[in-house]
Amino acid sequence: MPATYLVSIVILGITVVPLLYVFLDGARSTAQISNSSTALPNPWVWSNYATILSSASFWEFLGNSALIAGVATALAVGLGSMAAFALSRYAFRGREVFYTLFISGILFPIGIAALPLFLQLQLLGLLDNQFGVALPEAAFSLPITILILRPFMRAIPGDLEDAALVDGAGRLRFFVQILLPLCKPALVTVSLLAFVTSWNQFLLPLLVFTTQSHFTLPLGVSTYQSTYSADTALILAFTALAAVPALGAFMFAERYLVAGASGAVKG
Amino acid sequence: MRSSRALAAVAIAAATVTAAAACSSGGSSSSSSSSTPVTSTSASTSTSASATPVTLTWWNNANTQPLLGVFQNIIKGFEATHPNITITNVPMQNEQFKTKITPALRGNSPPDIFQQWGSGQQATQIQSGKLADISSQVNSWISSLGAPATAWQTSGKWYGVPYDLHVVGFWYRKDLFQQAGITSTPTTVPELEADNAKLRAHNITPITIGSKDGWPDAFYWEYFAIRECSQSTVAQAMSSVSLSAPCFTKASADLAAFMKTNPFQTGFLGTPAQSVPNSSVAALANGKAAMELQGDWDLAAGAGLTTDKNLASKLGWFPFPAVPGGAGDPKAVLGGGDGYSCTTAASQPACAEFLQYLTTPAVQAQIIGAGAGLPANPQAASALTVPAEQAAAAANAAAPYVAVYFDIALPTTAGQNLDNAVAKWFSSPEPTGASIISSVSGPA
Amino acid sequence: MTRSTAADAGLTGPGAADTAAPGPGAVRRRGRSRLRKLRKATELTILLGPGLVLFLGFVLAPIVVGAYYSLYDWNGLGPLTHFWGLHNYKIAFNDPAFVQAIEHTLILTGLALVIQGPLSLGIAMLLNRKFRGRALMRLVVFAPYVLPPAVTAVMWSLMLQPGGLVDQVMKAVGLGGLVQLWLANIHVVLYTNFAVLTWQYLGFGIVLLLAGLQGIPPELKEAAAIDGASPWQATRRVVLPLLGPTIRIWVFITVIGSLQVFDIIFLISGNNGGPGGAADTMGTYLYRTGFQSQAFSYGTAIAIIMFIFCFTFCLVYQRYALRRDTAGALTRAVT
Repeated sequence: MPATYLVSIVILGITVVPLLYVFLDGARSTAQISNSSTALPNPWVWSNYATILSSASFWEFLGNSALIAGVATALAVGLGSMAAFALSRYAFRGREVFYTLFISGILFPIGIAALPLFLQLQLLGLLDNQFGVALPEAAFSLPITILILRPFMRAIPGDLEDAALVDGAGRLRFFVQILLPLCKPALVTVSLLAFVTSWNQFLLPLLVFTTQSHFTLPLGVSTYQSTYSADTALILAFTALAAVPALGAFMFAERYLVAGASGAVKG
Repeated sequence: MRSSRALAAVAIAAATVTAAAACSSGGSSSSSSSSTPVTSTSASTSTSASATPVTLTWWNNANTQPLLGVFQNIIKGFEATHPNITITNVPMQNEQFKTKITPALRGNSPPDIFQQWGSGQQATQIQSGKLADISSQVNSWISSLGAPATAWQTSGKWYGVPYDLHVVGFWYRKDLFQQAGITSTPTTVPELEADNAKLRAHNITPITIGSKDGWPDAFYWEYFAIRECSQSTVAQAMSSVSLSAPCFTKASADLAAFMKTNPFQTGFLGTPAQSVPNSSVAALANGKAAMELQGDWDLAAGAGLTTDKNLASKLGWFPFPAVPGGAGDPKAVLGGGDGYSCTTAASQPACAEFLQYLTTPAVQAQIIGAGAGLPANPQAASALTVPAEQAAAAANAAAPYVAVYFDIALPTTAGQNLDNAVAKWFSSPEPTGASIISSVSGPA
Repeated sequence: MTRSTAADAGLTGPGAADTAAPGPGAVRRRGRSRLRKLRKATELTILLGPGLVLFLGFVLAPIVVGAYYSLYDWNGLGPLTHFWGLHNYKIAFNDPAFVQAIEHTLILTGLALVIQGPLSLGIAMLLNRKFRGRALMRLVVFAPYVLPPAVTAVMWSLMLQPGGLVDQVMKAVGLGGLVQLWLANIHVVLYTNFAVLTWQYLGFGIVLLLAGLQGIPPELKEAAAIDGASPWQATRRVVLPLLGPTIRIWVFITVIGSLQVFDIIFLISGNNGGPGGAADTMGTYLYRTGFQSQAFSYGTAIAIIMFIFCFTFCLVYQRYALRRDTAGALTRAVT
């Protein structure tokens, strides 16, 4: 037991110290940080956090990020679970080809698609529009969603399905009313992953949005960067605040998270 | 998940993209053959400035104060005297702008006015067919801006107008020079090396450099190049995209010898140039090093990174020293500037009128007062208040010619390859500089 | 996928649908009926269709278009005129910088497997035991993953500078002799980047393995202990095999991620891939040549090469490793 605690403390230290660094440096001025990178705030510049929290644009960015992440997650998990169901419990020609097709989405470095995607979004009139970001984000989250959900759905016993069918429920109703609730932990898992990915997404919003009021949080950092300089302290404070919702989502999902992914490896 | 992270990462990293222009596969000034830019008069329906209402979207990089407020004032001033013209201000962080402008030029609704750094990079952007030839609008007044403005000419035609200029030179700390017993700034490279030795003797880091970012390294190599090469050799090299002239090899040898004298800070290969607290400009601003070879923006870049309120009075400026025996003019400077271009969809003469408005002395005074750089209009020289910046402007004005930074003067791919090659060479400087010479022709 | 019933084989052709799997509900499925086939087709369309459309439209289509560009010499601005075929690919493999980048990428991938694997597993096993503050520890361990890479990079750059926090801590614990120029030394910088990458991404692996561990009943380990096995033996003989499927998924995700690594390295070591290109990876090389230099077609060719690396691994891995996990599943496929 003592060994457990000792190792835990070391791990805690290595993980937590940099995180504390972000938070503490958010309470210094950039000039202070430049003077000495490791000193404690002196004086404590709480105005950094206060300024950000009281600026209307921060909440605008937060709202945009939340809206987009919400839509992207809902779409990714909704469509992903449907596709995973089809790919896990149906037998049909070309099933593995479809599966590999989806998985191949993870295998590409995304930069290759940036310019064509921009032109495509322009064609569809989706520029400067939240859906121009949410839809592609959902699409890019599909592969990992399916990768994780498929084995989990496979593990649900076939007898349950048979019983539902005997009772007269169609397969789709089985999916919605029985399978999905059983997969709740896994669904929460992939939801969390899709949410965090969307929350920190930068390139897509950058290409799509021109109007500042549409910016998401990662783009909002540019408020504190100019051509030759950047206010590092404000940026760190901003990032610390911007990470709170994502961490909150994790804390909320943590109970399910651990139990959730385990289904993927049963049997 | 890491692939998703890679996605997010490319995104974030895209924020630090450098100059956005396409490369031309062969030469650079063949732009006239590859595209026929529609002249603005045939694109616009109204030629009279006082008739139909006109709206112009303006993409600029003044996304923070004080320049943000200054630009908004400028718009108000312009609209007051041009009631039928409305300017929509679209400020963007600099690196984000560079990422967005290329897809925008490729797409079907680019902005009307956008930031443009001229020279070889401009020549490449002209290939998009979206840059307007504004020669007829500007010919009557553009010569008043002097020689530096010609960087916005391609094949004799005007595609942009500068609003500020930049020059690269040595910023130095007067207090540290005093400490080391240096009484006058060096005028030759051997003198500089001697001063470095004095600084080292007093435990002061002589020069700080942001080598991690690459382009500060290029400043050194390019200065040695323009000290060793004549003006015509440099111009020829830029237009033919070839560094085969022997003086360029000499430049590498000079720089390698200079670096042998250990002029830089410990761990310079990993130091970023600006923005962050561990950058080279922060070191200069906090008195941790005595000199930095940088553009005129260095004071603005460093001021926010120190608690010292008197930084401006502690900094001086001197031009890059002469190289004994070099064929280049010892007064030549390396520099560039910021300007704007009109796209073909922009209504003329409204767009050109706005660009002209930005160069009028009163407006220049506002822009320069906000710390944008050196004035593009020589008449506004008095707007500079910091002595170091005045020295830089004077050197710029007295220079026989301004060599535009090579990565802007060359087509973009060649320019970027050069920067990358110099940066890589900096980790083990071998005197022939062969990798630098060959970089402008490949790999892509 | 169970190999035990032909019905599950799916790909064995329409005839397989006739042999229904055993089970109480199977009786009604015997025999082919057009209505049943139509219904299955409809269900598949509803289930698979929307996701497929979204994926094809916003992921595959741009990628294919981008891949098409790699056959040209194009800068993203002018018209597409100069067809090069595979010339871009030839240039890539002849560029020593690219070859070096491939080497570095493979080194990082190997390190990830050899170091992050046991580390994740060890910490996951640690977090599997009951102790006070376990929930908080889990949050703390996962938190770095949530932080944007840009901020991680800024933070670690500050801490790794000469005389920064890392140096100070090392001196304080008596390891001062091991202090290096973490970001400037060409022999060290690749491993420095690896350390930061580990910090950022270890949490995800830990959570994944933790989930796998949770699926192993503790009675099994107790039984092994009763039989006289030491904890280490119990781990090796009981836990690890049962954790196999999770570990295999972890390996897949880690390798793909390592082959594409870019963000942290770019942000910490700059666009030139560090001093002397010592930390250059395929990802940073791609960004430098494709985006910064505006050699758009060349960059796309690099991306395709990276894809081929990943795809090859994916195919091989699916064939030899992941297949084992699908055998013996308790499910029965729709026939």
